[in-house]
Amino acid sequence: MPKSTDIIIIGGGIIGAATGYYLSRAGYRVQLIEKGYLCAGSTGRCIGGIRQQFTSEGSIKLMLESVRHFSDMKEELGIDVHWHPGGYLFLAHSPEKQEAFLANIAVQQGFGLKDVRWVDAYQAGQIAPGLNIDGLLGGSYCPSDGQAYPFAVVNGYAEKIKSLGGIVNTFTEVTAILQSGGRVQGVKTVAGAEYQADIVINAAGPWAREVGLMAGIEVPVEPERHEALITEGVDYLNIPMLVDYRADGGYFQQFRHNGQFIGCYSPIPNVPGHSTASSYEFLQEMPKRMLKLVPALGPVKVLRQWSGSYENTPDGNPILDRSPLDGFYVIAGMCGHGFMLGPAIGRMAADFIKNGAKEPPVAEFALERDFSSQEAMK
Amino acid sequence: MANNDDKIICRCEDITEAEVLRAIEQGTATADEVKRLTRAGMGHCQGRTCRRLVNQILARKLGQNPEDQKPVTQRSPLQPISLKILADS
Ligand SMILES: Cc1cc2nc3c(=O)[nH]c(=O)nc-3n(C[C@H](O)[C@H](O)[C@H](O)COP(=O)(O)OP(=O)(O)OC[C@H]3O[C@@H](n4cnc5c(N)ncnc54)[C@H](O)[C@@H]3O)c2cc1C
Ligand code: FES
Repeated sequence: MPKSTDIIIIGGGIIGAATGYYLSRAGYRVQLIEKGYLCAGSTGRCIGGIRQQFTSEGSIKLMLESVRHFSDMKEELGIDVHWHPGGYLFLAHSPEKQEAFLANIAVQQGFGLKDVRWVDAYQAGQIAPGLNIDGLLGGSYCPSDGQAYPFAVVNGYAEKIKSLGGIVNTFTEVTAILQSGGRVQGVKTVAGAEYQADIVINAAGPWAREVGLMAGIEVPVEPERHEALITEGVDYLNIPMLVDYRADGGYFQQFRHNGQFIGCYSPIPNVPGHSTASSYEFLQEMPKRMLKLVPALGPVKVLRQWSGSYENTPDGNPILDRSPLDGFYVIAGMCGHGFMLGPAIGRMAADFIKNGAKEPPVAEFALERDFSSQEAMK
Repeated sequence: MANNDDKIICRCEDITEAEVLRAIEQGTATADEVKRLTRAGMGHCQGRTCRRLVNQILARKLGQNPEDQKPVTQRSPLQPISLKILADS
């Protein structure tokens, strides 16, 4: 069996592509294997939001790093990924939310997110022209949060992997992980091809559990359906990403590069499973929620709706670790934040693999951990 | 005559033939992939105008048989509808 690469990565989403890029840069020959087209999984279905407002040290620091990568990407990858620091505004309509945001802001500033701040309802209305401030107490605002275009980012990474000597296989499904004597040997594809490598990475996003099981490794990632829609492009209104955590809230933003509004909400109850069906309920409900926040958007036309999977772990933190099978790594379970985390996670994963450390770089990201604590700004 | 590569393939998103060809060079082989890479087909008309042209370029460049080409995923709503009308529906 010919060994053409050092590292095989399963999954052509943001995590596989970013990790592959940083490993290629570190001198490894990488083979990225994707069962569909690049971004066929969650990455091509996400709404492109990038924020640093989290509550755990690990996530905040990773996101500070990711934002640096996104802002350097045009130069680094030689492709315009439409990075735009348009900000994120989390809305508080109750004293409890206000209190929670104020506490989070203190934590975030403590970990180096200097420009996050509390704004009152009037200021929120200035920051987001047209925002309905009825019943609004204020919000948590961070102007250096932003947006980028997922297809461009992943394509940029994939092109770099190729130009650095790696291989990108699309429409190639991995069906088995080859192993012997407690060490990973490579993968087998649906067409029966076998590829050998000393290191195999499970970056299969919502399918990380299934791919883990091919290696006999339990990976606690559960897919959960989230729907989204996008409108036609209109003049840029300079509204940051608006996040409304109320039961009938949602989140949406406007792309700077083409003026389209894109948004989604988290359904109650949640919808577990791999389904990517779209519902008429969402197509009626999401516009209601958007217009409740910014009534002036009424005439803007919806072009498309779709759905994709969040890839949840029980505690809301990612998994970035080696596994009991020597050479088999798991980098998955980004819990609906994988696009924004991707660049920093990819960099961290590459360093981890390169330095051969036994313990994962962030204890909170261990594969075998106590999953009972919770990331609060999920 | 203008350079053929500058020909607009997707009028809604302003995507030229050169951009579609570049996407094919990078390894895309279906109209769906071309759409996601270049945005040709993501515009106001939802690809009604450009889908056939993209398929023709793919057929020409990659020797694909038009009958075998994978159809592009169709996303509802099939006609753009305003947020207001949807919210009131
Ligand atoms: C509606 C919605 C909105 C979102 N909004 C945001 C947002 O604003 N910001 C943000 O950061 N995140 C957002 N997310 C979450 C984000 O999309 C995911 O966290 C992220 O894309 C996960 O990336 P990934 O590379 O781990 O997984 P994926 O992108 O799913 O990549 C995994 C890939 O593995 C492939 N694969 C699976 N099994 C196999 C196999 N056996 N062989 C070969 N290939 C295989 C899949 O086809 C897939 O392409 C959103 C998600 C949804 C659904
Ligand atoms: S011409 Fe391409 S989407 Fe309309």
